[in-house]
Amino acid sequence: MFSFLSKRFLQALLVLLGVSFATFIVGHLTGDPVELMARENATEQDKQDLRVYLGLDRPLEQQYFSFIVKAVQGDLGFSFVQQAKVSQLIAERLPATLQLAAAGFLLALAISIPLGIIIALNRGTIWDFLVTTLAMAGQAAPGFWIGLMLVVLFAVHLKVLPVSGYGGAAYIVLPAITLALQSSARLTRLVRASMLEVLSADYIRTAHSKGLRERVVLFVHAFRGAMIPVVTMAGLELAELVSGAFITETIFAWPGIGRLAVTAVSQRDFPVIQGVVLMSAAFFVLINFLVDVLYVVIDPRVKLK
Amino acid sequence: MIKGNWTRRLVLLAGLAMGVTALTPVYAQDAKPVVIASSEDIISLDPHMLDSNNPTGSAIWSIFDSLVRRDKDGQAQPRLATSWERVDDLTWRFHLREGVTFSNGEAFNAEAVKVNFARMDTAPFNSVQQLHDQTGLTAVNVVDDFTLDLVTAAPTVNMLYWLEEAFVAAPAYITDTAPDVVASAPIGSGPYKFVEWRRGDALVLTASDTYWGDAPAVKDIIFRAVPEMSSRLNELAAGTVDIVVGITPDAAAQANTDVSDVVQIEGLRKMHMGISIKGEQPALADPRVRQALNYAVDVPTIIDSLLGGSTKPLLSIVNPPNNNPDLTPYSYDPEKAKALMAEAGFADGFPLTIQWSTRFDGGKDVSEVVGSFLEAINIKPTYEAVEIGQFREALSSASLKGIYFQGWAALINPSVELVILTCGHVDNSSGYCNPDYDKLVIEASQTLDDAKRQELEYAAQAIIWNDAPWLYLWRLPNIFGISKTLSYEFRADNYLEPYLITYK
Repeated sequence: MFSFLSKRFLQALLVLLGVSFATFIVGHLTGDPVELMARENATEQDKQDLRVYLGLDRPLEQQYFSFIVKAVQGDLGFSFVQQAKVSQLIAERLPATLQLAAAGFLLALAISIPLGIIIALNRGTIWDFLVTTLAMAGQAAPGFWIGLMLVVLFAVHLKVLPVSGYGGAAYIVLPAITLALQSSARLTRLVRASMLEVLSADYIRTAHSKGLRERVVLFVHAFRGAMIPVVTMAGLELAELVSGAFITETIFAWPGIGRLAVTAVSQRDFPVIQGVVLMSAAFFVLINFLVDVLYVVIDPRVKLK
Repeated sequence: MIKGNWTRRLVLLAGLAMGVTALTPVYAQDAKPVVIASSEDIISLDPHMLDSNNPTGSAIWSIFDSLVRRDKDGQAQPRLATSWERVDDLTWRFHLREGVTFSNGEAFNAEAVKVNFARMDTAPFNSVQQLHDQTGLTAVNVVDDFTLDLVTAAPTVNMLYWLEEAFVAAPAYITDTAPDVVASAPIGSGPYKFVEWRRGDALVLTASDTYWGDAPAVKDIIFRAVPEMSSRLNELAAGTVDIVVGITPDAAAQANTDVSDVVQIEGLRKMHMGISIKGEQPALADPRVRQALNYAVDVPTIIDSLLGGSTKPLLSIVNPPNNNPDLTPYSYDPEKAKALMAEAGFADGFPLTIQWSTRFDGGKDVSEVVGSFLEAINIKPTYEAVEIGQFREALSSASLKGIYFQGWAALINPSVELVILTCGHVDNSSGYCNPDYDKLVIEASQTLDDAKRQELEYAAQAIIWNDAPWLYLWRLPNIFGISKTLSYEFRADNYLEPYLITYK
């Protein structure tokens, strides 16, 4: 267990270092940040002053090195454009992002797992056909369209929920449903397929032939086996949600990480871009690690090495 | 044990829900805050980082005062300065308002102005602030507590214009406080004071009880960022937002609902296809070719079909009321265009790259429609979307390929509008250079006699209109939605002044 953890930790460090390096290089390849930061008609002298003020006149390797040294100490830099600390900008957005990710994710699981199992058990019936078609439509429909339709129905016509914004519990309902519908479309199909595969596996036949009750076979034997690919997929979905669901955040004016990142990109706000990407990468690493641990819990054949 | 755990969690959840409900304030009907929804986030509340008119600019105009206020027609009005005069050609004298305090209790005086102007002239603020660069300001002299002299390197007619966007913050506060606090908890002397800012969501302001002027009719103002236009319109229709900024012409009618009205005004931003004179198409160096491009495109038809008739063709490169009245838009005359092309030796046309960025809505549509008109005079267009950062670099180095969709600039000031097209100017992205024009523009910007200056400006406008460094299009329309319970006169420059909103 200890060797597994230390190996994972080293891997995580390498991933984060690689990610930070890649964002740094890509960020500097796409053009002079000062061109976008300075006002449209700034003089060359003003722009040069700004380069010096931001340290952009230093050699690239020096800029990168000082970024890493500070990041290790928890200082992700200062956003010149917003006149704010990057760590604070991220910390301000994190609660909104985590709330929406958690609500969307739990809702997606609550929809897709029971639904996937039920249609797997009723394979070939009209229900199977209906749900599978619906899930396919859900996966194909763009998120923004689903979001806008929900707004028109619940906020504009029925007036039971707010159109957009961040605040009380009512505000999270529509964005969470928008996210959940897309995730659950993918997950439902995966649960169904995985369940069907497991149900035809040898160990399930063995369980049946031992004379175990149907319910025990299903929920103790089959369910655990079927959940392994679902956990992998769900982990990825969650990691994506945590790094910001930009389109959903945009439609519902939700002050999350996704909008912070996209605004920063359009303003060449490098410290913010680097901070957000690093944070997202850290969440991906963390969630992957949790998924690995979950494997052990679900599947006794898997051992941590 | 497990059960106990769940019960505890349920209690916690209920507590959270109650907490959330308690945080949502309850207002009496008439004291409801006015909610203004814009597409963009407020970027920073540091008054010297102001770089966009709305919503950042509108918030700063509400919290802070400048010496001079620009009214909606572009005229200078007293604000922190009560009056001003020219002492000599290089010196402006300002008499300052007495008895003004900032919302933290600091007193306003000439020294406060000096501190603020000095800050604007240092990095990073000097990459955003324009006062010093545009006016040639060299010295700020405190004559006495309420008299201030501003000295410039050369005579300037632009002092008042740039002072209107030079805001004065509490001097000790901006000097002694960490920059991130200055930018997130602003202290000014304006009609509203800062209450709370949830970045990316909402800025809450309330009427300042120490304001020197009349108390505003609306006590509480909330600036909200709602990036998606249909969401802004839905909020307006639901009555949860009172003013919507940034509606595209095709959606204008949707702002007319049971509870709201649409307001359309011609903006100030001059949309055009810049013509890159030093780009990859040498034919564009010939003024006859550039005139031909202008005659070849039916601008009124594009305005009707793409913009719902919401604006009008440009009359000059200077906005009304300062435009030269003798100039008229180029007519749609493909025959004349062909004749000019033939005269210049390009009867068979030439290939032309049309570029646009995401900076302005509809860049692709406009480019393609203009391109199809140009095909009629044998020009062979290719189309290219350019990433905004690269587009701006190409603009400031005058290195775009052929013609490009661009808008410039949301202001009413003939001198500033004309200087853009002088040789080598940083905004002269078409690379146009005409010494005769430059001479007129520079002379005008230093001519203090109004009638004489107007004559010079009219002459300069006539030159540029005929030399056609732009394919002239239209003024970018500004479309707003407003609740039927409010009345407000919107500005063409997109700044909002919430203290002028009244209840009907």
